[in-house]
Amino acid sequence: MSPQQPVRILASTAASRIIAQEYSRRRFLSFAAAAAGAGVLAACSSPSGEPAPGATGGALENNLSIYTWGDYDDPEVLTDFTAELGPDITLDSFNSNEEMISKLVAARGTSGYDIVVPTGPFIPQMIENGLLTKFNLDLLPNMKHVDPAFLGRDWDPNNDYSVIKAWGTTGFVYDKTKITRELKDWNDFLDAAQNEASGNFSVLDDPAPLLGLYFWSNGIDWNTTDPAHFDAAEDFLVNTLAPHISAFDSYPGGVAIPQAQQALMQSWNGDARIGILESEDPDRWQWVLGSPDTELWADNWAIAAGAPNPEAAHAFINYILDPEVSLRELDYNGYHTGVADIEDAARDAGIEMLDLIFFDDAQVETMHTQTITDMQQRIVEIWDKTKAAAGA
Amino acid sequence: MTTHTTNAPVTMLDTPPARKRPDWLRAPRAALALPAWAWLTAFFVAPVGMVLWFSFGYKPGIFGTHANDKLSLDRYAEALSPTFFTTFQNTLWVGVVGTIICLIISIPFAYWLALKAPISRRGILLAMVMVPFWTNFLIRTIGWQIILAPEGWFSDLLQVTGLTSAPLDILFTRTAVLIGVVYNYLPLMVLPLFVAFDRVGNDLREASKDLGAGRWATFTSVTLPLAKPGLIVGVLLVYIPLMGDYITATVLGGAKGNMAGQMVANQFQTAQNWALGSAMAVVLILTILTTAAIAFFIAWLATLPVRHRRRLVLGDDR
Repeated sequence: MSPQQPVRILASTAASRIIAQEYSRRRFLSFAAAAAGAGVLAACSSPSGEPAPGATGGALENNLSIYTWGDYDDPEVLTDFTAELGPDITLDSFNSNEEMISKLVAARGTSGYDIVVPTGPFIPQMIENGLLTKFNLDLLPNMKHVDPAFLGRDWDPNNDYSVIKAWGTTGFVYDKTKITRELKDWNDFLDAAQNEASGNFSVLDDPAPLLGLYFWSNGIDWNTTDPAHFDAAEDFLVNTLAPHISAFDSYPGGVAIPQAQQALMQSWNGDARIGILESEDPDRWQWVLGSPDTELWADNWAIAAGAPNPEAAHAFINYILDPEVSLRELDYNGYHTGVADIEDAARDAGIEMLDLIFFDDAQVETMHTQTITDMQQRIVEIWDKTKAAAGA
Repeated sequence: MTTHTTNAPVTMLDTPPARKRPDWLRAPRAALALPAWAWLTAFFVAPVGMVLWFSFGYKPGIFGTHANDKLSLDRYAEALSPTFFTTFQNTLWVGVVGTIICLIISIPFAYWLALKAPISRRGILLAMVMVPFWTNFLIRTIGWQIILAPEGWFSDLLQVTGLTSAPLDILFTRTAVLIGVVYNYLPLMVLPLFVAFDRVGNDLREASKDLGAGRWATFTSVTLPLAKPGLIVGVLLVYIPLMGDYITATVLGGAKGNMAGQMVANQFQTAQNWALGSAMAVVLILTILTTAAIAFFIAWLATLPVRHRRRLVLGDDR
């Protein structure tokens, strides 16, 4: 364990004794509360109002726990971090923002995770519900390498709580040996799904992009709050599409593409790239960016409330924002990391399949960020029902 | 002399004072089970009670998981609505068929292992049943995903040998889940059956033969009835966890092999709807209890005539 940094308070002699007493009493109370809390089921305990101790630039802790999306970081980058700076890293992964948030909500600051990786639009509510800890920006000097275009986004205007990790989009991959015609957009995707790829296609195991399939293909804004659109989407997904779905798979690049398990897969661009690169016969796979409209998601590094290792968490985020490390990450997961000039660096480094990583302005124009609306609950419900109906 | 001899037994009785402690001071015998009771109360009864309580509530908003200020049975209506009900049906199908297949495979195997296999090899054979357990459950299940893949080696082998003409189309179906659960839970059926058959031993079976019973009669009226406790334990050990399994279904079932465990996990993890998740969990528990009770009732009813005919009458009733 690292030594605790003493707190220094400037006060009048008269006040200092009272402050010191109050301070030690509070520390005792918080310690007692923590000890008592350990004996009670996390779900029963009341949410702690106290913000967790942030990082002050002290010694790094021995451990670091990261809760992130699957297969998202270069294992060598992680081992290099441990070799260079010390903390051992524990990785855990989730399939959707909802899953990550529900775990943090249930643990109420005792999840034990230091770093979490939420997608942009989920950040404001996470802050509001006290699930994140403020950054100590002094400990993140490498933030200067991030392209200003990816800083100060509307979900966290001052980057007090988050900084870009990677951004990407949603499209699909199909097997040209099984689907002989050319698929160009979401309508082709849905048509093939109900015909030659029926029972042989997968969708992302994530509520929003599933609903997106219907909205994008029908030219409806996917942030709509019109209940009629949702009723129509539910009817289509549950009654028409569900019987043809053979899997809900957020990472087809892991096994499904290399093993040729499906003919058609909704997929994120970086994961599709991993799968195609790992396939024995990369030429049989075709990546198509979703159109006419699709998603633009941006995942962000953030520190969970109650993070037990805040110093190590800051050190890690700073480490990974280094342009060289960032390029290794991009090479591994196939996503734009938001670091300035990384496209040129990637081209110079001879990284493969850049068309699945970088998109031109016209393409970016068709990508839309999700906003969390009152319909969030309904989105998850429809996803639930689609899953149940697919198994019927 | 006489006084000494009469005194001696009295002192003998006095020596163990603990035994003379009055009844009301003695700890109740149930105290031996206290750790087990405490454990079960804290980590089984209380959580199940909480699940039951949550199931009558509702989900208040995006960041709330449950609220119980208004109690209703609405979550049960939702859990049993046609969309989710089919998943319960599928789960029941996989559970029942999976348990029966495990039983059909295990009875002859455990019988052979316990009574017919050479004693010197029994240890190693039993170890071989256990060996798969040394590998992580998830890894073993993912292994099946690779075996059953349409372009996996098994599919290629079947096509090369001419057993099938088209690539294997099993992965992400209920059949794949069935293969997975039978593989994963088979040892849980084999082991209790092995112990049961082993305890029957050869003496009673030989006695049965000496008294003129054939092989089949000995098996059905001596071996199997004596092995009944093992049979019941095996069925319960396989059936109950199988009904709640969601790893096998997630890995091998894809969208088509959906099971109730996954629905419950979805409600708790992604939907954050603890109320609905709890109601689904309660429905699953009730399904398991009722079906197990029905199965044992049917078994009891089916064997009633046999047991009646073979009733052992000691002494002369007339």
